[in-house]
Amino acid sequence: MKFINCIYTAALGAALTLAATSASNAQDKYFRAIGTPHTPKVQVSWNRYHTNLALEEIMRDMAKKHPNLVKMESIGKSFLGNDIWVLTVTDFKTGKPEDKPAMWIDGNIHSNEIQGTEFTLYTAWYLSEMFGDLDFITELLQDKVFYIAPTINPDAHDYFIKEPNNQNSPRSGMMIFDNDGDGEYGEDPFDDLDNNGHITMMIRKSPTGRYVKDPMDPRKLTMVAPEQKGEYEMLGYEGLDRDGDGVVNDDGIGFYDPNRDWGWNWQPDYVQRGALRYPFSVPENRAVMEFVMKHPNIAGAQSYHNYGGMILRGPGAQEDIDTYNASDVRIYDAIAKKGEEFMPGYRYLVVYKDLYSVFGGQLDWFYGGRGIFTYSNELMTSYLYFHKEAGRNNQDEQLKVDSYLTFGDAFVNWKEFDHPQFGKIEIGGFKKNFGRLHPGFLMEQDAHRNSAFTIYHAYHTPKLSVMDVREVDLGSGLKEVTATIYNERLMPTHSSQDLKYKIEKPDYISIVGAKVVTGFVVENQDFNKVTEQKVNPEKIAIDNIPGMDAVKVRWIVSGNSNYSIHVESAKGGKASWKK
Amino acid sequence: MKKIYLSLVMGAGILFSPHISSFAQGDYPTLSQIDQRLKAISGSGSPAKLISLVKTEGGKDIWALKVGTGDMDNKPALALVGGVEGFHVLGVEMSLRFAENLVKENASALEKNTFYIFPNMSPDAYAQYHASLKYERRGNAAKVDQDRDGRVNEDGYEDLNKDGFITMMRVESPVGEYAASEDDDRIMVKADRSKGQKGKYMLFPESRDNDKDGKFGEDLLEGIAFNKSLPYKFPAFQPLAGEFAVSQPEGRALLDYLFDQWNIFAFVTFSPANNLSSPMKHNSADAKKRIVTSMLENDVALNAMVSGLYNDGVTQKAFNQTNQGTDGDFFQWAYFHFGRLSFSTPGWWIPEVKNEEGKSNANMDVNFMTWATAEGQSDVFVPWTAIQHPDFPNQKVEIGGIKPFVRVNPPFAKVDEIAAEHNAFILKLAEMRPNLEFHNVQTEKLAGNLTRISVDLVNNSTLPSHSEMGLKSRWLRKIRVDINKDAKDLLAGDKMKLIEKLESYEKTTLTWIVKGSGNVDIKAGAPHVGYASLNVKL
Repeated sequence: MKFINCIYTAALGAALTLAATSASNAQDKYFRAIGTPHTPKVQVSWNRYHTNLALEEIMRDMAKKHPNLVKMESIGKSFLGNDIWVLTVTDFKTGKPEDKPAMWIDGNIHSNEIQGTEFTLYTAWYLSEMFGDLDFITELLQDKVFYIAPTINPDAHDYFIKEPNNQNSPRSGMMIFDNDGDGEYGEDPFDDLDNNGHITMMIRKSPTGRYVKDPMDPRKLTMVAPEQKGEYEMLGYEGLDRDGDGVVNDDGIGFYDPNRDWGWNWQPDYVQRGALRYPFSVPENRAVMEFVMKHPNIAGAQSYHNYGGMILRGPGAQEDIDTYNASDVRIYDAIAKKGEEFMPGYRYLVVYKDLYSVFGGQLDWFYGGRGIFTYSNELMTSYLYFHKEAGRNNQDEQLKVDSYLTFGDAFVNWKEFDHPQFGKIEIGGFKKNFGRLHPGFLMEQDAHRNSAFTIYHAYHTPKLSVMDVREVDLGSGLKEVTATIYNERLMPTHSSQDLKYKIEKPDYISIVGAKVVTGFVVENQDFNKVTEQKVNPEKIAIDNIPGMDAVKVRWIVSGNSNYSIHVESAKGGKASWKK
Repeated sequence: MKKIYLSLVMGAGILFSPHISSFAQGDYPTLSQIDQRLKAISGSGSPAKLISLVKTEGGKDIWALKVGTGDMDNKPALALVGGVEGFHVLGVEMSLRFAENLVKENASALEKNTFYIFPNMSPDAYAQYHASLKYERRGNAAKVDQDRDGRVNEDGYEDLNKDGFITMMRVESPVGEYAASEDDDRIMVKADRSKGQKGKYMLFPESRDNDKDGKFGEDLLEGIAFNKSLPYKFPAFQPLAGEFAVSQPEGRALLDYLFDQWNIFAFVTFSPANNLSSPMKHNSADAKKRIVTSMLENDVALNAMVSGLYNDGVTQKAFNQTNQGTDGDFFQWAYFHFGRLSFSTPGWWIPEVKNEEGKSNANMDVNFMTWATAEGQSDVFVPWTAIQHPDFPNQKVEIGGIKPFVRVNPPFAKVDEIAAEHNAFILKLAEMRPNLEFHNVQTEKLAGNLTRISVDLVNNSTLPSHSEMGLKSRWLRKIRVDINKDAKDLLAGDKMKLIEKLESYEKTTLTWIVKGSGNVDIKAGAPHVGYASLNVKL
């Protein structure tokens, strides 16, 4: 007994010493930079990409170090059996998570677009580390809940990182189909001929080639003038014709597009290339859908893609233009235009008219199918390199980046190779982790700005309060009780899409403890325009509580007992008042 | 009890023989009778394999019969789908009759064709036909808030007169829109107020307003209707449709199964829709939009041809067959989203009854009553009888009307003839399958050991290899031609070649220059058109 006690005391002493040491070290060594958690309990470097293994370690660490703020759960399995993790971030000591308005954030639906994973994780990290440190974040986590899914495509997240790919591959998850129509599945993928993990380009010297290597920069192939003789021909991405059909790399991973799989205005492949069999036939999306269906408190949502520096909203297709009406667009505009101000290089755009048509996109289902205000950000823009609009895939700018900022890290120099089908060729070009992905030194800043955007969005999910309760004595032991319910934020409890299809149940305002004679919704208090609710008048159903606005309800009650008033809204949370 | 049932079923399976599958019965089968017949059809020695695709929310099996011999995945297949509407019990019986007839009398059809039979896609709803409370049900057993008011299934039908049927309820009211028909005062017709007519009754399904929202029977005690839940023109958020397409286990299981069967070239669905009595119309504007909503022009011509075949064999004359598809239904999905030829028929409809002047009544219910009377069916109508209705305490409320099921399903005695005619039609349709053949093989010796082979690949069928829609679909394979010579021995011609399409009676000439001697094998085809092969001696 004594011995054990002794050990315990020693251990405690050691622990205390250690804590004191690390605290004093921090004071000795570091000075707080504004905007960043100063002494985070979970240490993460936000200038590199994490594999599934590392992601899971960080998430477990967050849940362990912040047991009252972060919980981790698997919402389902991917096609290859990986867990799809969701972090629930909220102040678990203040109210139940399911009773708070929620913000859903996910990343990496497209396999190669992996910075979304880092950005979502950064958000979870930032919120949990800043809780208790900043009043704004503390209150935010008391009021709201964040459901954060760093990757909703874990299979291909790691496949992109670990296997040979180019910056555009794969877009699909890991299901394999017959892409060239020959009845065989995935028989002609890319081949990493030079074994460096990157699928770069193949070129060949040819008397009829139309390109030359730029004498000023031999990395760069330039097309010659129409009357000039060139030296090289382009042979496309690194690979072989494995199936003997005369085409190189024509049947690899996929193909399907997980972002054409969602159940709002879903269309088959001949209308919408990339659609699979039917809505939610991609298992990872099905898991997300089931989670969202079980969490009607989700009022706002954000998904991350790359590339281009965009804040996107729907509709995805012209055919769906009526889905987004003016009152909802006003709210979309208010949030996104604010985002444009603090995310330099990012523009607020509408998918169908500013980008291209998408049927069955995720953001359309979130909004069209569930009434959730949803954005999709296209992360990374070349603007971040030199604060100039040089345009997408501007080769000269990219070569300049690699000369002056990344010092040769982004480009594989041309190297000769004996190709079994093409003979002597050269292989080289930009690496898969350049172009669409942020270089390390730009990641943390952009992660923070995008997180700030989701925080602003989450802040403006509804916040309800019972603002005012007034009694009028009607005589004969009767009283008229009028309650005003205020929504302190931009978003209504029901988007107009929600109201149109009655997606979510109405908001309920109940009086408890009073003997109710009848109840009303008050349309106009000044001129006493009211609508009676004859059935179950103690629980008044309200279609919607608009943002920055209020609704009024009234009861006629008898007797003099004390009573309380309770507001219950799926997306607006709960509020109450007691006499 | 369960054990006894199982051994009975097993017994039926073991006893499979061409004779046992005809059941003497006087009414449409119960679910357990269906199970027994399916097990009898697929007993040992049968070319039919019985597969349970999934269990519904109500715990009922969704059955598939795959019937075929030999390399059945590579023979053109016809798929038959019944019970897409739970109230259409005829379609289930017709599917069973076809399967029984196929294995018993027409096994020779399996030499060139494979068949898939999905006899009952709505078993949860089908059960209502035999339940103590009978009504025409569409939805499965899922719990659904049909009127989306936050309360689930709270306002379904109610058997107010306790007769075991859900019929109609009429309420006398000066604002009522309905009046008794002048031709048959049992039938309610809508008053034409533009002609100065006045209604006398409000008309509702037999129900109460349990949730006091002023609506009657609007939150039915049923779930999702299979034939309203598929992705083509999916009617999102409508009652019985669900929140998104293919939300139910039976829909997913069927589609998942179909997407793995590459050999299906056509569907026949038994459903209220009919594009067999007359073909679908072509609308060029709708066919040109990116979301295609009209059958494409060449496919309408194929539909017309198959419709001709149908009308040659089916004696009943089309009457009031205007339904050519409804939103979210199966038969349109099979064409517009799955790219297969797709045909649907109710199998039976109420015949036109003409009076002495050669005219029939424009009101279908009046026509039905006239027909039923002529047929001597006295049991199809519940006479209007007053009841006390709690929601209309001071008004006269009567329950009555045509009984459920009788307008969409014929008396069981008529099924023999209906099934026989349809079975013959379906077998003829199966024979029309695309059919690849090699013709006109020529081998010419060139200098040395070089041989030029040329051969015509012919689609010897009235159907093209790919419908116009099928050509757009990624879920139909192209025709693949293989020659079993190494690429280095082929001086000209492809080792493997893909052909997009062969029209009806179209040929394409294939040539190779081959180095060497011996024999070469050439094979051409796709699962849904079958394969042709050829051995050539060099």
